[in-house]
Amino acid sequence: KQHLFNKLPVLASRAFSSSARQLKNKVPEAQKLFQEDNGLPVHIKGGTGDMMLYRATMTLTIAGTCYSLYWLLMASMPQKKA
Amino acid sequence: MAHQAHAYHMVDPSPWPLTGAIAALLMTSGLAVWFHFHSTTLMILGTILLLLTMFQWWRDVVREGTFQGHHTPPVQKGLRYGMILFITSEVFFFLGFFWAFYHSSLAPTPELGGCWPPTGITTLDPFEVPLLNTAVLLASGVTVTWAHHSIMEGERKQAIQSLALTIALGFYFTFLQAMEYYEAPFTIADGVYGSTFFVATGFHGLHVIIGSMFLAVCLLRQIHFHFTSEHHFGFEAAAWYWHFVDVVWLFLYISIYWWGS
Repeated sequence: KQHLFNKLPVLASRAFSSSARQLKNKVPEAQKLFQEDNGLPVHIKGGTGDMMLYRATMTLTIAGTCYSLYWLLMASMPQKKA
Repeated sequence: MAHQAHAYHMVDPSPWPLTGAIAALLMTSGLAVWFHFHSTTLMILGTILLLLTMFQWWRDVVREGTFQGHHTPPVQKGLRYGMILFITSEVFFFLGFFWAFYHSSLAPTPELGGCWPPTGITTLDPFEVPLLNTAVLLASGVTVTWAHHSIMEGERKQAIQSLALTIALGFYFTFLQAMEYYEAPFTIADGVYGSTFFVATGFHGLHVIIGSMFLAVCLLRQIHFHFTSEHHFGFEAAAWYWHFVDVVWLFLYISIYWWGS
């Protein structure tokens, strides 16, 4: 793997043509990351970003459920006549 | 490191079905809260949760297929059946609105003047913007087929260009339709003509937007080398959906815009 990293600076300083910027194929890296035998489920296997997004989503899920139950309580009470 | 002695996909436990179900709960109860208590917070919360669920669920499908290799031929076959069944259900959805249109237009009631278009309705000229919209969608059907052949032939740059062109045509359709909606001499409240016109074309427009987004995701994936010349089902599903949207428009154009004018 050492030779690959030695090549990187050379690639980064190459002058590219006017066509679209050349993207490197990062699929093999992703394949290695997601096939690592670490027992993690796919939805958090990508790293800390995954965990943060999951936590934010679950927080909204639970908070939202409580909020809807609050409105259910409000809706079940008799309406105050102004 | 094979842990399974079969070609099928036993998915990891996932929280997204739950968060998706809760999103549906919050969106619907939020709608009721908006109607009765004038607060949109719950509904907006539900919508955000829906978007988060869709993003993470489909991100995980990409990971399972492209990065983990779970989409073997039998699994892909199941995905194909799934997409076909889903599109079929959407066909039935639109069938309902066409039924409503033909019910009202084939036997116009005395309240409408006994004629179709009803008295007082100035219809849109089918040979102006609606005809252009037809050409735009037909052209996008050609470009998406071009994109497919490019992917199958390993022509990376052409695939990216034709896919981008397809999406641009989709946006152009949406833009033209939005202009038409703004300029139309009738509204959704204008009797059964207005209802059938805007509900049918409105749901179609929504599907054009959904289809464009699906294609846009495919464009990003193509740029990031996810598709191979042999295996690119995500793109095929998007292309099938796009053709379906095109066909619905052709029926709308002939029935509502042309015959109905």
